[in-house]
Amino acid sequence: MKIDRRSFLSLGIGVAAGTAFSPLPWKLMDDVSIWTQNWPWTPVPAKGESTWVNSVCTLCPGSCGISVRKVDDRGVKIEGMKDHPVNQGGICSLGLAGLQLLYSPDRVKTPLKRAGKRGEGKWVSISWDQAISEVAGKLKELITGGQAHTVAGITGGGPNTLSRLFKRFLTAYGSPNFFNIPSIDDSYRLALQMMNGATPDATVGLDLENTDFILSFGCGLLDGWGSPVHMFKTNTAWRKTQARVIQIEPRLSRTAAKAYQWIPITPGSEGALALGIANVLITESLYRKDFVDNYTSGFEGVVNASGELQKGFKQHVLDNFSPKAVSELTGLDPAAITLLAREFAKAKAPIALFGRGQGKLPGSMDEALAIHALNMLMGAINQKGGIYALPTPDSQTWPVVPPDAVADSGVKEPRLDGASSDAYSRLNQLPPAVLSGKPYPLNALLVMEANPLYTMSNSKAVQEAFDKIPLVVSFSSFMDETAQNSDLILPNHIYLERQEDAPLPAGFSKPVISLSKAVFKPLHNTQHAGDTLILLAKGLGGSVAETLPWKDFEACLKQAMGDKMEPLQKTGYWVNTGAVFPDGKTTFTTPSGKFEFASSAFCPGFTPVKIEGDASYPLLLIPYDTMRLASGYAANPPFDTKILEETILLHQDGLIEINPKTAQSMGLSENDRVLLQTPRGQANVLIHLEEGIMPGVIALPRGLGHTAYDAYIAGKGVNLNGLTGPVADPISGLDAAWGIKAKLSKA
Amino acid sequence: MKAEENHGNTKKFGMVIDLDVCTGCGSCMVACMAENNVPFRKDESDKLKSITWMRVYKLSNGKPYPETDICYLPRPCQHCEGHEGHSPCVSVCPATATDYDMQTGIVSQIYTRCFGCRYCMAACPYHARYFNWYDPVWPKGMEKYLNPDVSVRMRGVVEKCSFCIQRYQAAKNRAFMEGKADIEEGDYQTACTQACPAGAITFGDLNNPAHAVYKLKKQPNAFRLLERLGTNPKIYYLSSREWVRRAGDNYLKNEGPAKIG
Amino acid sequence: MDSAFIPNGVRRCAPGKFLVVLAVAGAVLLWGVYAMLLCWFKGLNQTNMNNNYGFALWIWADLAVIALGGGAFFTGFLRYIIGKDELKNIVNYAVLIGFICYSSALLILAIDIGQPLRGWFIFWHANVHSMLTEVAFCLSCYFGVLTIEYIPLILENRGIDRVPFLHHLGHNMHDIMAVFAATGAFLSFFHQGSLGGVAGVLFGRPFSYREGFFIWPWTFFLFTWSAAAYGPCFTLLITKITEAVTGKKLVKDNVVELLAKISGWMMVTYIIAKIVDTLYWANVTAPSKGLTLMDFYSHNAFYGVWILILEIVIGGIIPAAILITDKGRKSPAARTTAFVLAVIGVCVNRWVMVLQVMAAPVMTFDKWALYYPSWQEVATTILPVAYGVILIAISYRYLPIFPQEPELNPID
Repeated sequence: MKIDRRSFLSLGIGVAAGTAFSPLPWKLMDDVSIWTQNWPWTPVPAKGESTWVNSVCTLCPGSCGISVRKVDDRGVKIEGMKDHPVNQGGICSLGLAGLQLLYSPDRVKTPLKRAGKRGEGKWVSISWDQAISEVAGKLKELITGGQAHTVAGITGGGPNTLSRLFKRFLTAYGSPNFFNIPSIDDSYRLALQMMNGATPDATVGLDLENTDFILSFGCGLLDGWGSPVHMFKTNTAWRKTQARVIQIEPRLSRTAAKAYQWIPITPGSEGALALGIANVLITESLYRKDFVDNYTSGFEGVVNASGELQKGFKQHVLDNFSPKAVSELTGLDPAAITLLAREFAKAKAPIALFGRGQGKLPGSMDEALAIHALNMLMGAINQKGGIYALPTPDSQTWPVVPPDAVADSGVKEPRLDGASSDAYSRLNQLPPAVLSGKPYPLNALLVMEANPLYTMSNSKAVQEAFDKIPLVVSFSSFMDETAQNSDLILPNHIYLERQEDAPLPAGFSKPVISLSKAVFKPLHNTQHAGDTLILLAKGLGGSVAETLPWKDFEACLKQAMGDKMEPLQKTGYWVNTGAVFPDGKTTFTTPSGKFEFASSAFCPGFTPVKIEGDASYPLLLIPYDTMRLASGYAANPPFDTKILEETILLHQDGLIEINPKTAQSMGLSENDRVLLQTPRGQANVLIHLEEGIMPGVIALPRGLGHTAYDAYIAGKGVNLNGLTGPVADPISGLDAAWGIKAKLSKA
Repeated sequence: MKAEENHGNTKKFGMVIDLDVCTGCGSCMVACMAENNVPFRKDESDKLKSITWMRVYKLSNGKPYPETDICYLPRPCQHCEGHEGHSPCVSVCPATATDYDMQTGIVSQIYTRCFGCRYCMAACPYHARYFNWYDPVWPKGMEKYLNPDVSVRMRGVVEKCSFCIQRYQAAKNRAFMEGKADIEEGDYQTACTQACPAGAITFGDLNNPAHAVYKLKKQPNAFRLLERLGTNPKIYYLSSREWVRRAGDNYLKNEGPAKIG
Repeated sequence: MDSAFIPNGVRRCAPGKFLVVLAVAGAVLLWGVYAMLLCWFKGLNQTNMNNNYGFALWIWADLAVIALGGGAFFTGFLRYIIGKDELKNIVNYAVLIGFICYSSALLILAIDIGQPLRGWFIFWHANVHSMLTEVAFCLSCYFGVLTIEYIPLILENRGIDRVPFLHHLGHNMHDIMAVFAATGAFLSFFHQGSLGGVAGVLFGRPFSYREGFFIWPWTFFLFTWSAAAYGPCFTLLITKITEAVTGKKLVKDNVVELLAKISGWMMVTYIIAKIVDTLYWANVTAPSKGLTLMDFYSHNAFYGVWILILEIVIGGIIPAAILITDKGRKSPAARTTAFVLAVIGVCVNRWVMVLQVMAAPVMTFDKWALYYPSWQEVATTILPVAYGVILIAISYRYLPIFPQEPELNPID
């Protein structure tokens, strides 16, 4: 057949028309659209049986009850546990994102041994047997060399059973160097100890639900202070009871924005303002005279060591802290101070609180005592709506095993931080001690549930100190900065995979213990740190093994919890309803047997914390905390970084808050790139103009600038700790720094 | 038909958000993302490309220090009723991929039908609608936590807050299994409502006098966003601060929220 | 080489030169195709659009090319329905330009949607309340009409015409072209108006929203009217450019002047209606939503009152004034200036009705959102231009687009 142009064209048209009228194109079109609805690279979550498991969240000291939804063995959602006394169903953004931590591909999945240089990120997987024998071997070597005391342990777990076991392990081993991560709790405990005669292991109790006037000296009550969700619930209750929150801080934080009144004052002058208020209360006789007269000492006068009568708190305050004098220190109008004092006194159940932001740092003791003196003046001690010391639930029912000779002499060595005990760990003193090698070098450091390399200020010195420690062992299942810079990682289960008791939440009115459950079978080859400690003890043998005689941590926990274990396993929490706080007349262990405004040992005054930096640094850099940034051991999971405002983090850059007036005077505008310098370090940041910050003050959030964890948080923003340094408090020796001088220049 | 269009005796789910209580912590945002399989990327700081069905806005009174005041405002989809169910977005969708349900008042979104023209986004004055500019990708292993009750959206479609409609379905199923005629207030609550640590969000049937939202929406401090546009939204806000209420809508100089009513 | 396909009585450049033109335009086209493939395979993250800018450059380009392509339906309408016979000398070109514009619009839409493979859902699951549904239906139908109007032109090619079947097909199609012209005009009245409705019905967007009488029929009318008024200007402008490129006079002045005059008067009426619309919106509609005119033209780095002046005065009143006066119309320079200004005017109008709508904040705590397109968006928007150049070049070379060309440019 001859194909001419005509037949070719006709054929073509015919084929086209035929195809169009056949079902083929329509079927194809339909199939393709169905394919787009089921793209193989878009995941389809598997169905299954849905169950709920109650547990407790230990990502922060808040200890909220959680309900975890599981579909078969997958965890699909974490919610707040409805009837839990701490959070009553509420939950914070970090707790909600917990499954992102559980399922993170960047977890430490098996014991690791460093292969390359330290911090290089080269690891070899080792077995648990090898991991235990390596660490136990090193620790044995140190015993043999008489160096048991040169081992230190740091824990961020708070006062729970695991921490106690850790301390017991170190003590039995022969080291006095057990460290807690210090926080504002230490200052509260110390203030209660000094002024109210509480024991050092008591926890501060706050009956905040029953207060009606909260004088907050910079406490981020709605920014993660105390037990965060509990504070949110309390604040909502305050709205209903019309309780007033007065927020005193130089920056319009979330707490300040929600407060009845925001009073910005010169940063660092909080203690002076407290004493100024005390001055008005005394001058105008607004304080609770009956309480002060009957239950306190040191108000009118103090008898010193040589038996002479000295000025008491009252005269001290009257002489030095008139509203006028305080006005100069705080920048607040004298009339405003007087008015504030009158309002405070007028309230039925006023309370004064200290601890900046989330209370990450202990702060100045002078300031703590001055503020707590206001509670004493108003009689808010051991009263409804007041502050009191909660006894630690008696859980120390472990056998007493006498230490061997090595341990006995080891624990008698001075601590590296110079503190008399671990009750108030001066962690900030550890790096200088390590660097100087005095009183003795640190040969091994064990880090549990903490990330000191990131969370401690003066990062540079901390890193140098780490570099000097021959052996660093991490128990982390997160590849955090500390784990990354360790020699061996013996990964703990993550909080959702292990059973343990959650410590008493800070600032709660009743003693509550919650039980964290193994909601999930461990995903990886990790091991409960409690079991690891017990195995290490067995590896060391002798009295260490005898002191940790349990077959596993569960047995140890059972013994520690005693008869509380049953209710804990049943409901997930235990409340000591019997621990009703005393009525203000209980006996105290203060020298005078009364609450002490002042004694021969102390008198609340105002000594400004020395802030680093000379006149070449014209600005003041202060840290701030936000609920959207985890700044402790756990770093932000992806969801929480996602909800960070673009005024905090823009792409990889952190932003610094500055008042537009200050910025204008320096020729800076929004999102300008600047070099931020402090005496401790420098960083590139972007400018964010914010009306709600005092001119001359600049602020950076805690929780950014990670170099570890995962690509969703590492390399974003600036770690504030690289720019600040600790300032030792003259009373407590703890870190009292609240800021540092700084300067900005266009980058 | 008429009665149905006016919702008649049917349900009309809505929220009352107390801005005096909201602290702007962001729990609602994360609760929503965790419940509804919302993806995330390494850099989410470009908020105009970030998917947040629930978004917390920060409002300022615009005054200089120290007179500055700020307020946080959570903004889920407003589930506008418009005029007889003609919400701004529903009426413009060319493929009927979004719908106003007369039985519940929920504005739904059918992801498999949406072909991504984004006309609904242009129509929504609240920016409550989000486009999947990227393929959703979870880090290896993290897809384990995905909720089987909510389908994962593919690239190229629009998504938005659904009032956690899967929870409504589940509540209805439970009620049916238990032989109950209807669900109760507590049976169906959105993820954000439940999570809010401050208890700022109240969710329920705006038509039901027994539900808390019924009374709350009538409080003198209650207002809705952009009410003057006629969107007829189902999210009510409460604020004791006048400047916040004023920020809820546009007003000429001589007008104010009270005057408009 | 290809002389057998070149129409009788006209002269065309050497094949080599022609191929160079095609190659240059083809390179640009390939660049656009590359960007298009990126958008299809990697998704719309290749663009700078975002959740505030669901509609952006592409939708503007769509609206603009459809307005500019309006020359096709209106010229056809004048020629076949009104009976302005002289316009037969330009209607071919108007149809070709219209065909290019509408096919480009469809292509851009196919790139613009997030799920192009199920774009047909717009027909299958059609929502009759949606302006976009109406636009899609009418646009597709009218594109069909334009194709049918373009086919007889193709069939007039000397080579193709030699096939008897095609010769007769072409002949018969010519005879019924009036029917299609009428259909085209009818469809255009609908979809041009609906395109106005696209932004006009958005009651959540006070910048574009028009109420009551001012949405129906006013806004619909404004869009149809503006396409009818400005479309011919674009046809004439492209004709002018073609003449400049080819160095030949292709259409007689009386034809150009006639179309320009009609266009000018259309513009006059349109711009009056537009001013009335703007005044009512600024004084009644916007204030009823608590907004003043200046709220839409201040507090941002780009949109100021200048854009309103550019659209209405510079792109509306001035070209209209030129074209309705004898003097202006008869001066080639003034006339061409008017065409340029008119094209700018209508493009700015469509820009404002798409992008400024997205840019202006509605919630009081929202901010102006400015946007600039990514190179992928620009490339895919230029793609149709390159494609248009190629199609015009080929059509001009091989088809008798300009009936007056042999007469105006006699071969010795």
